Parts: sequence; structure tokens; C-alpha cells
Amino acid sequence: MRVTVDEQTCDHHGQRTIACPEVFNLVSPDKLEYVAEPDESLRDCVEEAEAACPTLSILIED
Amino acid sequence: MAIVPDVPYFDVSDPDFSVSSAEVLAARERSWYARTNFGIAVLRYEQTSALLKDRRLRQGSIAWPEQHGITEGLLHRWWSLLMLSAEGDDHRRLRRLANPAFSRALMEEMVPGFRLLAGELIDAFADRGRCEFVSEFAEPYSARVLCRLVGLDESRWRDLSHWSTDIGLSFGVTIARDQDRIEAGLRNMYGLAEELIAERRREPGGDVISALVAAHDGEGRLSHEELGAMITLIVFGGMDTTKNQLGLALQLFIDHPDQWELLARDPEIAPRAVEEVIRWNPTVVWTTRRAVEDLTVDGLDIPAGTTVHLLSPPANTDPLAVGDEPFDITVERRAHFGFGGGAHHCLGHWLARIDMREALPILARRLRRPQLERAPVLRPISGVTGPVELPITFDPGVDA
Repeated sequence: MRVTVDEQTCDHHGQRTIACPEVFNLVSPDKLEYVAEPDESLRDCVEEAEAACPTLSILIED
Repeated sequence: MAIVPDVPYFDVSDPDFSVSSAEVLAARERSWYARTNFGIAVLRYEQTSALLKDRRLRQGSIAWPEQHGITEGLLHRWWSLLMLSAEGDDHRRLRRLANPAFSRALMEEMVPGFRLLAGELIDAFADRGRCEFVSEFAEPYSARVLCRLVGLDESRWRDLSHWSTDIGLSFGVTIARDQDRIEAGLRNMYGLAEELIAERRREPGGDVISALVAAHDGEGRLSHEELGAMITLIVFGGMDTTKNQLGLALQLFIDHPDQWELLARDPEIAPRAVEEVIRWNPTVVWTTRRAVEDLTVDGLDIPAGTTVHLLSPPANTDPLAVGDEPFDITVERRAHFGFGGGAHHCLGHWLARIDMREALPILARRLRRPQLERAPVLRPISGVTGPVELPITFDPGVDA
């Protein structure tokens, strides 16, 4: 599984970090760190983050 | 904080204070913030965006009832249990429980029903060429959508709507005066919540209440008190806001007939129309934060404990961020703050965006050339705002 965040549309609300802190970490209001190739065991959590993002900025590729 | 003479001052508790007034817009030109009777109010886009997401501040309305002398009782207890008042791990737990029920995919599944409902409501008054838009469309539309969301018999929509209006008064500056009415609304809404909980326990479904009941019963991730508060928040939060936002939308389009025509001709621009309506005339006119530590923003020292009101209308239209742009539903702009932002970003934003996206173009095609029949009755511009009565005339059109 490969995760990409569109930095153009991402508004850094931190909803991904709330939904899946194992993969996403909003270090500060303008700096997001994330695991680009998270373990398959984190799929539910990443999908939860994808759905929670208000700007639909997460892309998950298998 | 030392008083600096040039910094604007607003009494945001004054029932005549308006976040969209010329006075506020003029203040935005000379200062990014104003002082208020509670702390400060932010007037510009960049600072609003940064402070909404800054974790040195917490959601700020937790002290709202206490700031108005309400220190115990049902309203005080309800307020303290709200997800809005929670932070950190508690907030994260509640938010993760509620999120799945409001996903975009689930809301899109409700679209065919939204369209039929909009058509049915318009059918009831279209031949007359006039209607009272709030009671004949905005209110039944948003209330019946909410009934569907929580799996409640739609014939109960009037109760739901009235109780939501009563509870909504808690976000206004007259909270103390309205306490009895707010608490009556809360008792009714809690009764409804208990009824829904009992029903879903007997017969679980795929709806939001069933998911929350399962979270309480199965894994104990939600206390009974939290369960009741969550249901009242979902019903109230989704009902009153959409009703008011639809009324505000129609008011804007009455003032911009060319834009209404554009929407009637091209429903594809409906998603942008929703964003532009909220940018210009948001029903939630401010978001509140409170500093949990001392911080400095653009040279201003904000001590821990300071209440910060982020006023969305001036920030949404800040010329420094979005240019001095008129109301135009064809243009894609930077995000507005009508849904707040950060950890407390509106949970139900997809529901609001999608049900309005479906209703507005249908209204534009069937209510041609809408005009005010007489002056609307308005709620004061504080907390959640919008028309209480909006009598209009129009030329009946056809939904092709």
C-alpha cells in the first residue's frame, strides 16, 4: 500500500492525524509528516484517515 | 495585554453587534485583530487559518455557559459532555466513533432521496408563485434529511426542528436569558435520543445511531451520558445549521439574480455555489478558541486563558487572501472558514455540502426570478444566524 498526500489541496486540519496517528503526524500547522508505505496491517486506519480528510487530499494506491 | 489605542474594540455580546458590519470590515483594513469583551477577535484570513489549527489553543466555547453565569444544571452538563468541548485523547476517541457515519460516500448514497424530497416540497407551493421559504422549504428539507440520517420516522420532523432551534440559542449571546427554553429543548432531545437508543438496541441498522449504540454496548468506548450528548449534538448540529444556511443562500441569490440564472442553467457549478454562499454568508459566523499557553502571533502577545473569536465573514472575504472579489459562483477560491477548522472541523460538512448541492439547482430551476415579498425576519447575527421568515414570490419554473 502506498500513501500520497496532495500538498496543494491539503489544508492541514489534522483530521488524518486524529484518525490514524500511526501513519500521519501533523508536526505543526504547516508541516505534515507521514509514512509513505505503511504496513498492510494499518489499512483500516489509513482508509479511515482518507475518509476523514475534509479536503480529500489522501490517495491510497495498492 | 496593554491597550493599544489604534486596535479596534467590539462588544460581541451586544445583540446589535454584527460580524458582517461595515464597522468590522473597516476594522479589518487597519488591524488583523480586534479586542473584545471576552479577549480578541481575529479579522483576517491568514491568522484565522493558522490559529484554528494551532494546538497551543483549545476549542474555546467550553466556558461559554459559565461566561454567562450558567454554572450548573442540564445545559451546563450537556455542554461539558459535547465533543466540541473535548480535547486530546477524549476528543480523538469521540471523533473516530462519529466520523464513519458522516463519510462522503455515505452521504452520496442519500442523493436520490435529497432530490425527490426537494421536488416534493417545492410541488406543495410552486403553483402559488409564493412561499415562506424557511417554513415551507429550508426547515422541512433539513429536518427530514436529519430524520433519514438517524433513522427516525419523518413525520416527527417538526419536533426535531423546534427542539433544535431551542438548543441553538445556546450558541447565541442571549444564552442566559434563553436558558429555560434551551433546557426544555434539551430534555425533549434527550428523550428522543433514549427512544432511538432503545429502538436500535432491539433492531440495529446501518445508521449512525446503531454504530454509536454498538460502541457503547459492545466495547464501552462511549459512556451512556456521552452517547446521549452525541446524539443530541448530531441532530441539533445538522438541523439548525443547514436550515439557516439555505435561507441565507436564497437571500444572497435574490440579491444576485444573474447568479441564480447561472445555477439554473448549469447544475454542474452547484458545488462551487455552495462554497461561495458559505464564504459570503456563513450561518456559523464565528469559531472560538482559547489559548492554553502563552503565545505570540504577528507581534501580539496572547496570554494563556485568552478567548479568541475567529470571525468567519471578514476572514472569508479578506482582500489580502482572496482579493476584493464579488459574489461569483463560477470561481474556485481558497477554502472558507464556514466549517471551522483544525481538530474540530465540522463533522457533518459532507452532509451539508451535498444536501445543499442537490437542493440549490433544483430550487434555481423551479423558483425563477425570486423576490422578497416583504422584509425577512432575521435572527441576530451571533453564533448561528439566518432568516427566521423569508417570504418570497417567484415565477414557477420546470425542473427539466
